[in-house]
Parts: sequence; C-alpha cells; structure tokens
Amino acid sequence: MSKRQLAMVMDLNKCIGCQTCTVACKTQWTNRNGREYMYWNNVETYPGTGYPKNWMELGGGFDAAGDLQPGVIPNLEADYGVPWDYNYESLVTSSADHSHFQPHVSPTWGPNWDEDQGAGAFPQDNYFFYLPRICNHCTNPGCLSACPRDAIFKREEDGVVLVDLDRCQGYRYCIAGCPYKKIYFNPKISKSEKCILCFPRIEQGLPPACAQQCVGRIRFVGFLDDEESQVYKLVNKYKVAIGLRSDYGTQPNVYYVPPTESPAKFDAEGKIIEGSTRLPIEELEKLFGPAVHDSIKTLKAEMKKRKETGVSELMDILIAYQHADMFRLDNHYYQEVAKEHKRTPLAPVDTRYIAGKFTKAGGHH
Amino acid sequence: MNKLLTSILSLGFAASAALAANPAISAVKVTDDLTNVDGNSAVWAKAKYTTVNLYPQMAIEMNDKNANEANENNKAKAASVAALYDGKNIALSVKWLDKTKDVQAGYATTTYGDGFAIQFAGITKGAQPLPYIGMGSTGRPVVVHLQKANEKVYEPNGNGDVSTQLNRQQTGVFGKELAEYDAKVASLANKDYERVFVGEGFRSLTEIKDKSVKSNSSMSHDTKGWSGTLVRPLKDDYVNMSGTVPVAIAVWDGSKMGRNGVKNLSSWVAVNLEGQKPNAALVADLTTDAKGDAANGKVALETNGCNGCHQMSAADPKSFMAPSLKDVGGYSTASYLRESILKPSAVVVPGYNRNAHANTPWYNIEKGKRISTMTDFSHLDKKSVDDIVAYLQTLKAEVE
Ligand code: SF4
Ligand code: SF4
Repeated sequence: MSKRQLAMVMDLNKCIGCQTCTVACKTQWTNRNGREYMYWNNVETYPGTGYPKNWMELGGGFDAAGDLQPGVIPNLEADYGVPWDYNYESLVTSSADHSHFQPHVSPTWGPNWDEDQGAGAFPQDNYFFYLPRICNHCTNPGCLSACPRDAIFKREEDGVVLVDLDRCQGYRYCIAGCPYKKIYFNPKISKSEKCILCFPRIEQGLPPACAQQCVGRIRFVGFLDDEESQVYKLVNKYKVAIGLRSDYGTQPNVYYVPPTESPAKFDAEGKIIEGSTRLPIEELEKLFGPAVHDSIKTLKAEMKKRKETGVSELMDILIAYQHADMFRLDNHYYQEVAKEHKRTPLAPVDTRYIAGKFTKAGGHH
Repeated sequence: MNKLLTSILSLGFAASAALAANPAISAVKVTDDLTNVDGNSAVWAKAKYTTVNLYPQMAIEMNDKNANEANENNKAKAASVAALYDGKNIALSVKWLDKTKDVQAGYATTTYGDGFAIQFAGITKGAQPLPYIGMGSTGRPVVVHLQKANEKVYEPNGNGDVSTQLNRQQTGVFGKELAEYDAKVASLANKDYERVFVGEGFRSLTEIKDKSVKSNSSMSHDTKGWSGTLVRPLKDDYVNMSGTVPVAIAVWDGSKMGRNGVKNLSSWVAVNLEGQKPNAALVADLTTDAKGDAANGKVALETNGCNGCHQMSAADPKSFMAPSLKDVGGYSTASYLRESILKPSAVVVPGYNRNAHANTPWYNIEKGKRISTMTDFSHLDKKSVDDIVAYLQTLKAEVE
C-alpha cells in the first residue's frame, strides 16, 4: 500500500464525448512505435461494446475471496482495431487523377465503432451516456498481482501504478489480470505499457493531460488524504463519486459521479411519460454497484438545495468554476520526496494548481 | 500421465529404470575455435547427441485463460542435446520438435515467439546443492541464456534501449532525411532477441546488460522443429566450468502461448567435459534415481497429507494452496525434492498471485524472506523420506 493516493473523479453528467481527453493523451504519449493502437484514455458509449471490445467479459480482477481470476488477452486486430492511417503523402506527391483519400487497411473494428449507438428504440426510450476510462491506479492492482516478474509497481509516494520496462519481458499476464484492460502490450518492443497518470506533469504542477484539456471540465484531480481536495470531498465527504466495477476487487482510484439526469420516455403517441426516465438504474448498478443509489440521492438532494437556497458546496464543486478549483496538486510534497531520495527536486512549471495539503504547510517555491 | 503412473505402480516398479533421470552428456573436446559456431557449423559432426526430456513446468498456474486451456494436457518433449568445448568456450546444441514456427509479430498482441534457454549454475562455494532450477536460490545464482525467435524491430539505436525509439509520425523529418533515417533503422533493426540473465531466486532474474557475458546464440527452424545453439566462455565473472557442468534446458512453444513458466524444462543435466575428471558425486546425483520404494512413498505421502495441498497428478483437482507437483519428478533432482521435504523454506515458489489467498497463504514474508507455511517433515525417518522422494520422482508426464 502506498503512503498517499493520487486520484481522479470524473463527473459523467458533464462528459460530452468530444474525445478531447483521448486526443490529449494520445498526442502526448504516442511517442514510441508500437503504441499506435493504444488508447490509455478512451471514451466509450455506454451501453456499448467498449474498448477493447467487450472488456467487461474478458476476466481478470479478484473474486470475493481475493483470488486473482484468469483473463483473456485481447487481440489487436479483432478487439482493439488496427489503427489505420491515410495516404496523405501520395495525395501530395502523386498526380491528382488517380490519387484519392483512402485508409491503408480497410477498417473492420476500432475504438468507438459503436459511438452514440446506445440502447433502446428511437425515439421512445433510447439512451446512452459517455464513459471515459483510464487506468484506475488501483489500490489492489490486478495487473501487479498477475506479474510474475515484479515488473509492475505502485509508487510509494502517490500510488501511481507503473511498469518497469527493464524488468518487463512481455509475458502479458498483467493484461489478463486487469479487469479494465487498461494495460497494453507494445508488440514492437515486447513490453507492457500503460497510463502513468501523467506523473511527470503532476510532479511539476500540471494536471494530467486528459484532465487539463477536458472541455466538459468533468475531471478533478487530487490526493485522497487531502481533506481540502475536491476528490476527497466527492469521494469521502459526500460519497457521490464511486469506483467503476468495484466488484472486481481491485479498489480503483478513478471515481465517477454517476449520470443522474436523463429525459423522460415517450409513449406510442409520442407523448412524454411523466415521471419516467430513460436511463435504467440497473445499468448504473452494474457499473457502480449498489452505492449508486445513495450517490444519486445525495446529488438530487443537493441540486434541490442549491435551487431553493442557492447554497450547496457539492454543487459548487461539481460546477467547477475554474481549473484552480478542480486540481489540487502538491509540488512541494514531490520536492520533499525527491530530497528524501537524494534526487534533484523539480521546480514547478505551473503554479496555478499547487495548493495541496503539504504545500500549505511548507509553502511552494 | 496418470495412466502411465498406475501401470507402473501395478508393475511394482519393475519398469522404474525407464523413468531414470537424464543421462550425462559428453562435451567433446575440439581443436576448432568455437567462438563463431552456429547451427550450420560442420564441427557439430563431431558431437555426440544425447536425449534429454523436457517436462511441462506448470507448478503455478498463471492467469491467462487461453494459455491454460492450450497447455492443459502437455506432454514431455524429447530434445537432442550435444556439447563441444575448445578450452575457452563451450558450445551447446539443442534440437526439439515443434512443427510451427512462431515469432512475436510486430503488430499483434496475442502472438508469442518460440524460444529456448540454457541455464548454468553460477559460481558458488560448493557444487552441491545445486541452485533451484530456473530461478536459482539465495547465494546460489544461475545464469540463463535466452534466445527467442524474433523478427525485425523498428529500433533506431539497435541497443534495445526503448527510450530512444521514435514514433514515425513524430520524427518530423521528410523526404531525403526520412529515407536516410529509414535506411539507418533498417540496418540496425535486425537486433537479435538474445538475452542473458542472472537469478538468485524467484523474482530476482535480472538481465545482464553490461556485456560482461560474451555469448552468442541462434535458432533455425525446419519442417520438424528447431535447432538452437549457444556458445559462451567456460569461465567468466558468473560461471566457472570444469569437470562436470550442470546445465538445464527450457523451450517455449509460441503456438501454445508459451512464455515464462509456460514452458518445457529439463532437470539439471550433467555435462562432462571430455578429458577432464568428472565430478562423480554430481554425476551420480543427476543421473540416478533416488533409492527408495516409490510404492511405499506414495502411501507415506498420503499418510502425511501432502496431497491435501499439492496437486499430484493431472487427474487431481487443482489446488491453489501449494505448487502442483504433477511433473515435479521430471525437472527436479532427488536432492532438491529431499531438501523441500526437510526444509520447506529453502526454496519457496512465489504464489501465482501474491495478493491471493489472504486467509490461506502458502508462504508468509518475514524480514523480506518467503517462509513456507508447509511444516517441515524432518521428523520422518530416513526411509520414509527416501520413499517419498522416490515416489515424487515418478511424477512426470509421458514423453510425446
Ligand atoms: S486499472 Fe488495470 S492496469 Fe490500471 S492499476 Fe488497475 S489493474 Fe492495473
Ligand atoms: S474531454 Fe472531457 S468532456 Fe470531452 S470526452 Fe473527454 S472527458 Fe468527456
């Protein structure tokens, strides 16, 4: 168990499925061959097949007794989708008459293949919502448990789960062990790679790329032991943010505020069915467990309170007026950790979000 | 396997000679310089090939569902092994059946390369007890030479240094520069997947990256299977070979998703350097079966409840309480089996999943050391231990 845990909360009511986060992550981290197919951050349409295809049925995680479950390693072509590219170069260089825009393979599958499809019948009761997913930097990571080479570790200082590429020999048991399929095999270098929660950015005072770029401002970042942080308040104080598929036993540290609002259904005449809601609660229960009921109850109550009294700390947090309200980073803390390990402490490149628990005590430089 | 075992038991072990441990291999002394030897070298005509059986090593079931299914009923593989030495180097040749040639494809997450490894006991004070097979043990290191079948890897610096690998879309070079860049990459891209590791116990296996081991291995495939060769110095910082050299051989089958413990493994095999004085005690240890009555051993083992935690045969239900022993006779020496009964914490296989079985762990970690929860059986009389060891040596899959 790590000393502190860095965590993220994503408010699903606000995700608009724009994939800005996906692109922010992809352009930041696809800096090595073999990573092309990997989406460390992806936004899928729920209900849907997800990415990789049917990830929830591929096993991994732990059973009730705490035993790691066998899993299946997804296939690049069939389950992730070959990342196709276009013939940009020939469009520029060859003569115009027989050159046209075309992908280099005929795509048969890819992330977001079923984007916006959802479930139900249009227009009576169709529904979907967006589910952004990154590695959960689990407290009890399935990936780490599965690795026979001790190549995966959880950082003491902030609980970020990383792969030691020197030790990794590309066995891929981690992929079978992660129930979220959020660790990927790089076939070019025969090693596993994954979301690193942008720790090099965090250490220098910048939130993860996905969180900073998010136009919906759905993502909050902070330390779980920092009572002033938004993640602490959303997860521990108001208990509205819950882990995805906590039944896998990995104790995920990315938390979600469940979607609360959905339009009413229509009847055969196209009239609104009063009091109905399109989003089946069973679906939310499947993703977030029974805690989703209390979460929704609290959210609705606070929403009402805000409407009636104009005051609600929870609503103010969720509105996320400015970035500084959403990220509580702790550069000072990382500087202390660096000193402790006799490393050179990094100066922050951005001081706007540095307001963490330990920063207060020490002051940042 | 079970069938074979029962028939042998019913024969009252008349056929136990058929289960004898691997014979010793003669390393032929040659005057040729072996430094650049590979599978095609003419010098192999001088070698004497010996059959060594490689047993499925599935003591710990990993969490890959498909691999487990593919390897459920694996049999032992017979490999032909020969050795040569020239005074400076030792060369080993291993041939094994494997009809499919598998390489890790550069654009696939579910392909696995065939491969082989040759292991030597590292420098320690006494030759015995030998290090634990595969991973070595504290104070008794092993050196493992691993060769995997591979294909071209797009790798700018050719050193396997992943941090310098570039993404094509981000190289920012065009036209002539890009062509030059590609040419350079192509010239470096044949980086061979040859690795040397040193291990002193489970989870300690570490790659030797400072080039202090000068070895050269290669693989070639024909319709029947693979032939792999390895040349390495008789002496370096890690090993010091003379007289009798204990080696162990492992092969991986990519078509069965083989990697890590999903492999076939020999026991320690004695290689005698011809013309040198063999280590008689070591040869005897590695080539003769335990003196004991296996039928009595089976009874003693059941009386002592060993099968309460260990899976003994493929027919037994899988137990996650302790490593499976269903092929243990194939890849373990009698001394190792004896040691494990008397001192269970001497070598502890880490769990297939270290977070599992919070209530029933098969070991505890005390001061950083794995302490087995198995009680030691040093109170047993010598004969019972001998009998149990003799029985355990019969536990191994049939040869394919
Ligand atoms: S989400 Fe998966 S990859 Fe990330 S820490 Fe958890 S088990 Fe590991
Ligand atoms: S950037 Fe934000 S709003 Fe857009 S898809 Fe990602 S998480 Fe949702």
